[in-house]
Amino acid sequence: MTNAPHTASSKTYTDEDIKNLVDTKTGKYSPEIYTSEELYQLELEKIFARTWICVGHESQLPNYGDFQSAYIGEDPVVVVRQKDNSIRVFLNQCRHRGMRICRVDAGNARAFTCPYHGWAYDSAGNLVSVPMETEAFNDALKKDEWGPKQARVETYKGLIFANWDESAPDLDTYLGDAKFYMDTMLDRVEGGTEVIEGIQKWVIPANWKFAAEQFGSDAYHAGTTSHISGIMAGVPAGTDLSQVQPPTDGLNVYIGNGHACGLFLRNPMFYQVIVGPAVTEYLTQTSYPEAVERIGKERADINLCHMNVFPNLSFLTGINTVRMWQPRGPHEMEIWSFTLVDKKAPDAIKQEWSRNNVRTFSAGGVFEQDDGENWNDIQHVLRGHVAKQQKFNIEMSDHTVRDAEPGYPGKSFADTYGEEAARNIYAHWARMLTTSDFSFLDSVPTLKAAE
Amino acid sequence: MLDIITKNDFSVKPAPVSVELQQEIEQFYFWEAKLMGDRNWESWFTLMSKEIEYWAPIRTTRIMRETEKEYTDKNGFAHFFDDWNMLEGRIRKIMSDVGWSENPASRLRHIVSNVLIWKGAEEGEYDVSTSVITYRNRQERQADIFSAERQDKIRRVDDERGFEVVKRKILLDQSTVLSNNISFFF
Repeated sequence: MTNAPHTASSKTYTDEDIKNLVDTKTGKYSPEIYTSEELYQLELEKIFARTWICVGHESQLPNYGDFQSAYIGEDPVVVVRQKDNSIRVFLNQCRHRGMRICRVDAGNARAFTCPYHGWAYDSAGNLVSVPMETEAFNDALKKDEWGPKQARVETYKGLIFANWDESAPDLDTYLGDAKFYMDTMLDRVEGGTEVIEGIQKWVIPANWKFAAEQFGSDAYHAGTTSHISGIMAGVPAGTDLSQVQPPTDGLNVYIGNGHACGLFLRNPMFYQVIVGPAVTEYLTQTSYPEAVERIGKERADINLCHMNVFPNLSFLTGINTVRMWQPRGPHEMEIWSFTLVDKKAPDAIKQEWSRNNVRTFSAGGVFEQDDGENWNDIQHVLRGHVAKQQKFNIEMSDHTVRDAEPGYPGKSFADTYGEEAARNIYAHWARMLTTSDFSFLDSVPTLKAAE
Repeated sequence: MLDIITKNDFSVKPAPVSVELQQEIEQFYFWEAKLMGDRNWESWFTLMSKEIEYWAPIRTTRIMRETEKEYTDKNGFAHFFDDWNMLEGRIRKIMSDVGWSENPASRLRHIVSNVLIWKGAEEGEYDVSTSVITYRNRQERQADIFSAERQDKIRRVDDERGFEVVKRKILLDQSTVLSNNISFFF
């Protein structure tokens, strides 16, 4: 089967072409995956319109009528808390002439009225009022057929996911073993997590996959060059930086279904550099026994897990930054980022957690500001015709790869500084673009832990 | 509507101050802006009090009747929410050889204007609102423009600095930050 051309691009990719962009055997791949408009349009169709996309956290919508704007790929949606406490996600598009029906970031409303001609939808997305319905439509408009497109909605421990595709597997199956690692952040203590209010949004002129893959697989940049100055900013002046390096004790994990993560184990010193002393004490002492009891020592001892839930939801557990890499064409993304804290943590700890997140992993964060520098420079270089022809290298850690790791679920593993996860993320990406059903998804056994 | 928007310390028209005081405070801000443009971050940082609270809440787009929720509060997320120690770490990062977001460094210009001065609660303290246009240009062709109101509390000091900044609240005129990072200061 060949994919139909989506743009007037001079190149039309066959399925075979797409699969050949990523060679997991040699660890070489083509940077065309970051630049092609045609591949980008395919991503919107084959990935974003049929996988589970995070659109927020339940604590952002505590009351009936609370809503926020979000995106599934480039499709704007409204996420609304219903009277029965369920959540609906529908396309932010009036069915009459396509105008945006919600034009703010968040709020509380009983109805969304299109500013163009006044069609009004209730909080469930039902078209309830049409101006001059008798005079203009002779009362013949079938209002029940003209609500905005609804997405499937499911939640996992507070995080809200939406999916346009009726045939996609349910969220639980889709996340699979990713839940095991997500729980290190979402389920450490009783009551779970809540959001620090406010989503920070900013723009990076780079393809969304740089960020998604880095959070899924790249501990190498943290342990080497990129973030030395970020570490420096988190320790007292004159500190011997060799004492606060990221550890080598950890894992690079390909979880399955495109999800991936990397773990740093048992390194509270590095923790301190990021979350600060008060939150380090909370995580490694005050709340540690409860975390061990709930999720087990293996996971309670993960001192930072960088993770990507395919396609575009990333976390850094510990500092608990959550972000959605919103695709904006092959050459640009918006980062939407918020912070989670344990709901039952003391208020002072919550604020300290948030402030350290602002300090480290935000648009102005001493770690994150350097990421923005790398990705946009790579993208800029890729404007070059010759630069686009150069294969990139993801062969790292081939020698440490194994298909099992005691205590940790996943499809394959490598040591901390590895690209086993990256290879599999991109292979999964190619499969998604070239397969119409979901038969290739991993069937995942039920989790044993956390019960 | 208006009473919601104006419910803050900087909302009432300030009483007149002397031309000398106006000039003195404006010169303080112009010098501060020059230190930033000159990338003299260590000297700039000496203008911050040990008690500094350096805060830039996140701004959101809200319907008129919910305007009071436009900015995050101090329990919310932010672009900056630093004390002296956090800021000091940032200064070390920005000055280091390996702080890639500022090495090579940005070309920065802060245009400071609309200087409004209120006498503060304590002798020698002033609340000052300034408008800032920040132009940031870096590498080959990156150009960013930020516009903001800064609401400061400054205090007269008995040394060549003249004043120090005790509090700074930066109200950015963007909800989505149209830049790849914020690796400098306002």
